[in-house]
Amino acid sequence: MDGIHDLGGMHGFGAVVTPVGEAPYHEPWEARVFALHLLVGMEHLGARPGGRATREEMDPVDYLAASYYERWLWSAEQGLLRKGTIAAGEVEHMMERLAAGGPEPPPHRDPDQAARAVEWLGEGNPMQPATRPRFAPGQGVRVRRMRPAGHTRCPRYVRGAHGVVERVRGADELPDLAVYSKDAPVEPVYAVVFRSDELWGRGEEPPWTVALDLWESYLEEAE
Amino acid sequence: MTEHGHDHHHPRPDSQVALRARALEALLAEKGLVAADAIDAVVELYERDVGPQNGARVVARAWTDPAFRERLLADGTKAVAELGFGGVEADTLVAVANTPTVHNVVVCTLCSCYPWPVLGLPPTWYKSPPYRARMVAEPRAVLREFGLELPDEVEIRVWDSSAEVRYLVVPMRPAGTDGLTEEALSALVTRDCMIGTAVPQAGSP
Repeated sequence: MDGIHDLGGMHGFGAVVTPVGEAPYHEPWEARVFALHLLVGMEHLGARPGGRATREEMDPVDYLAASYYERWLWSAEQGLLRKGTIAAGEVEHMMERLAAGGPEPPPHRDPDQAARAVEWLGEGNPMQPATRPRFAPGQGVRVRRMRPAGHTRCPRYVRGAHGVVERVRGADELPDLAVYSKDAPVEPVYAVVFRSDELWGRGEEPPWTVALDLWESYLEEAE
Repeated sequence: MTEHGHDHHHPRPDSQVALRARALEALLAEKGLVAADAIDAVVELYERDVGPQNGARVVARAWTDPAFRERLLADGTKAVAELGFGGVEADTLVAVANTPTVHNVVVCTLCSCYPWPVLGLPPTWYKSPPYRARMVAEPRAVLREFGLELPDEVEIRVWDSSAEVRYLVVPMRPAGTDGLTEEALSALVTRDCMIGTAVPQAGSP
């Protein structure tokens, strides 16, 4: 989806290094929302397409105005509502109850869930080797022009650009479909290197390179 | 942290978003779906056990053990598992080594993907629109903000971790560190050195 999250190359956001930029989060609720979102995922309490693709659906004005973990809070709530785990109005009702000093729900403890979470976070799911990749290292490729309505991992700034395959990374489900369904195709994924002048034209800085891992269906042979 | 502790340290009323976060947690607790101790366990995991100290150990090992370095650059996921590191957000980990002619730096323009098992949770600037927008398009200007000036002839290689691969930059070992132990070396390797927005200095941090 060509949303506000696809930020590569945009102007106007100002400085990277700021006095408050160092910490991962600043308020205790941010860490708890992070953990809660992971647990919602682990327990399959939220609906597809999951946190990341849901956040991409945020209104662009809200997306930029929200802090990072506000976006996570929003996507957690959306996923829970869409799955029916919570009903519309329940969060607001609980907010009113807590704001009015009403009774906190009795503490819910689950040591088994805590242990499962730590174990789950330590388990990786590495990419499988690719079978029959169409492109080989050293080969020139062009990124397809596209304007997908849904989730994609093909950023706007590389579309139409020529690059060179550096490596076949492995094979992975195509996320454009996998976030919405269990039956997504598995495709080779390639590390593709682009020259800066191909992406941005000649600028003030000496040339550099940008490398991305791209799924096979994002690519076509360079003419 | 308990709500009591939170109130004690922050006497102002909860902001609307903090209240909303608290309400969602309370709602899922009331339904018996997400436990407070599970949330505590995840928060503590990334505050205490999983952070850039893990990646720094990996880099220091690579500096002192050429065979490990070779394994790390060939298959990052397997090599860091030798030190007990791995998991969600480093399912496929690729280590990229800086050389006198190539300097690597990592960004995620679409999201804020970051190799949690070796670096912990990303700093706010890594997740911010300016970093995500600018690093692929004006890397030297961004690195200059971090105080890093590289010679013109060094190729900057920006890795946009838009897929499921996560990247760990292996910086060059600084000169003047020959006598240091692996542990002392790991203290020179800051988080930013492994993102690529800094290089290690002998005698730092």
